[in-house]
Amino acid sequence: MFLVASLAWSSGLGPVTAAGTVGSPGITIGEIDPLTGKLAKHGQEIHEGILYAVEEANSKGGIQGRKIEVISRDDQSLPDVAINQAEDLLYRYKVSGLVGGYVDSLVAPVSELAAKYHVPYVASASLQRTLTLGRNNPFFFRVAHLDGIVEPLCSFLEKVVRPASVAILYTATPGSTEFGQEVKARLIRSGIDVKVFEKFRPGSPDFSAFLLKLRADGVEALVCGGFFPDHLILVRQIREQNLSLKAYVGPWGVAYPSFVEEMGAAAERLFGMCAWNQGITLPGTETASEAFAEGFRKRFGKTANTTTMHGYTSARALIAALEGDLKSGGSLKGEDGSRRLRALDILTPMERLAFDEKGDPRHYRQVVVQIQSGRLVAVHPPDRAGGHIQWPAP
Amino acid sequence: MQLLVNSLALGSFYALIALGFALIFGVTRTFNLAHGELILLGGYISYFLFKGAGIHILWTLPPSMLALLGAALVLHAILRRVREPYELNTLVVTFGLALVLQNAMLVIFTADYRLIGHGRQFFLESLDAYVSDTQITVFLTSLLATLSVHFLMRKTFLGKALRATIQDREAARLAGIHVDHMTLIAFGTGGALIGLAGPLYAQTTYLHPFGGSEPTLLAIIVSIFAGVGRTRGLLLGGWLLGTIESATVFFLGSSWREMVSAMILIGLLLLRPEGLWSERSKPGREA
Repeated sequence: MFLVASLAWSSGLGPVTAAGTVGSPGITIGEIDPLTGKLAKHGQEIHEGILYAVEEANSKGGIQGRKIEVISRDDQSLPDVAINQAEDLLYRYKVSGLVGGYVDSLVAPVSELAAKYHVPYVASASLQRTLTLGRNNPFFFRVAHLDGIVEPLCSFLEKVVRPASVAILYTATPGSTEFGQEVKARLIRSGIDVKVFEKFRPGSPDFSAFLLKLRADGVEALVCGGFFPDHLILVRQIREQNLSLKAYVGPWGVAYPSFVEEMGAAAERLFGMCAWNQGITLPGTETASEAFAEGFRKRFGKTANTTTMHGYTSARALIAALEGDLKSGGSLKGEDGSRRLRALDILTPMERLAFDEKGDPRHYRQVVVQIQSGRLVAVHPPDRAGGHIQWPAP
Repeated sequence: MQLLVNSLALGSFYALIALGFALIFGVTRTFNLAHGELILLGGYISYFLFKGAGIHILWTLPPSMLALLGAALVLHAILRRVREPYELNTLVVTFGLALVLQNAMLVIFTADYRLIGHGRQFFLESLDAYVSDTQITVFLTSLLATLSVHFLMRKTFLGKALRATIQDREAARLAGIHVDHMTLIAFGTGGALIGLAGPLYAQTTYLHPFGGSEPTLLAIIVSIFAGVGRTRGLLLGGWLLGTIESATVFFLGSSWREMVSAMILIGLLLLRPEGLWSERSKPGREA
């Protein structure tokens, strides 16, 4: 019975509701995330962050005494399913807002539907610049932005690593492709030779020939815009081939406690990036950060990570906007929620969250971390550093 | 030389993945789209024995093979009920099974990526190349498994019966071969081979409940390269594919990898649909 119920849940056969339930008219928000499929790991992390934010808000009395109910839907890591699920949430459930989403290919179609139904959508993990650039979608917001990754990464390479040459490897996804192009342009401008610049398909089982090329070209640093599983293979093969690099930087997928756990000693001295991790938080939010980390561990029995925090932050933003709307006598209409989001300015452990006119976060900035003795240590930018870099790395 | 070593290791890995699929498909005409999920299952068994009980990866091979042999027999029992058109219906049924397995693995093993630790590397001065113990294990296992299956098929009476079933089921039946038994044996042997590939798959790449489509696709491609029922061809096909992919990445770049492989595959299907090492002039011969 448990297995059947679990399968039904994991297959996205039915909506997952949380937290609401009480008799008084609740406020319903919708969540769409990849709970199954290739992106399930990170989708579930975002989902848990959102659930935690909703439960936290409800434990404090909800919004103006009204409980928040979240209807969670699984897009199965497929854009067409994301569209169907969003349509259902918007048309049938008439949700007051949408939240969640991992990778731009899944977020983009939902953002279009949010505009069509005039319902605010706060995306948890979206980077692609073209999603907001030159477009007029007043209902789309996101808590992350590509600049917040490219800028600290490039300044780290330029000022700290200072390699004579780098290789950039990126995946054939919109966000990663844009990331690769941005980093390449910036590094060339600063005089760093980009010797290898290549795209690969996520899930590639072998990088040995690519690594051979790095060795032949004498590349000093590798920036890999792949995801968690790509780093697992790539780093392992780097170790197995005894390839010596001055720095290996993975903006996505490396700065995770679970990555360190799986890789063990092979993860030592790699560089990753994150917006938050336990012990790596925005100055002034240390107490809130610890409370979140501890509360999350108690609730879900696992360690929260940067992706979880993205889910939590996006839900916090939507809840805060809806709260502001009701406090001022609003009617939870999409236009009002959208206006409230635009005026939002809250401090979260991940970022001071305020949106610009395009819906992008004004202050989002990740930090570079290094894995040292199994721990994630912030090393750049200097104002966020919590330790010194250990060389040689990796 | 390093490129060659890497290519051979990659090709051996491909052949190992394809072996169970090719045997089951050759003898039973079952197009098993749950092949990758079964490999993952073997990988997960190995992973938990390795991490939980500290058992060496090589010692996790027998339990994985045994478990997958059982799983393959269950698959056989399910597919026995499938009606004509058999090939098409097995495609649908195994696709459904793949979805069930994916979601069951998600519930049981969670969506976390799992990895069996990286191997040690050696520098071979004679070859002027690094080689890891994982590569050596995969190469030797693939070679031994292929030769064993080849020996079974070529040198034993059972193998002759299996080959006869591959070539023409009806003729084999008329010749007194118990085709249903051959099917059962093919599923059992294929399952054991899948169980052999699973742990080494986990050691070479990673495990994720939804990561089964890659090994399935690889198995299909290598089987097409080799031709139905040609076990030696699987190893040669794997090596060829591995070499083409590695050379493509090295000389043209990573983004060309799939395109070049796909073009070769399409060309092969158009020019030699019976496989690269088939002998059209001598029907009935097994390479």
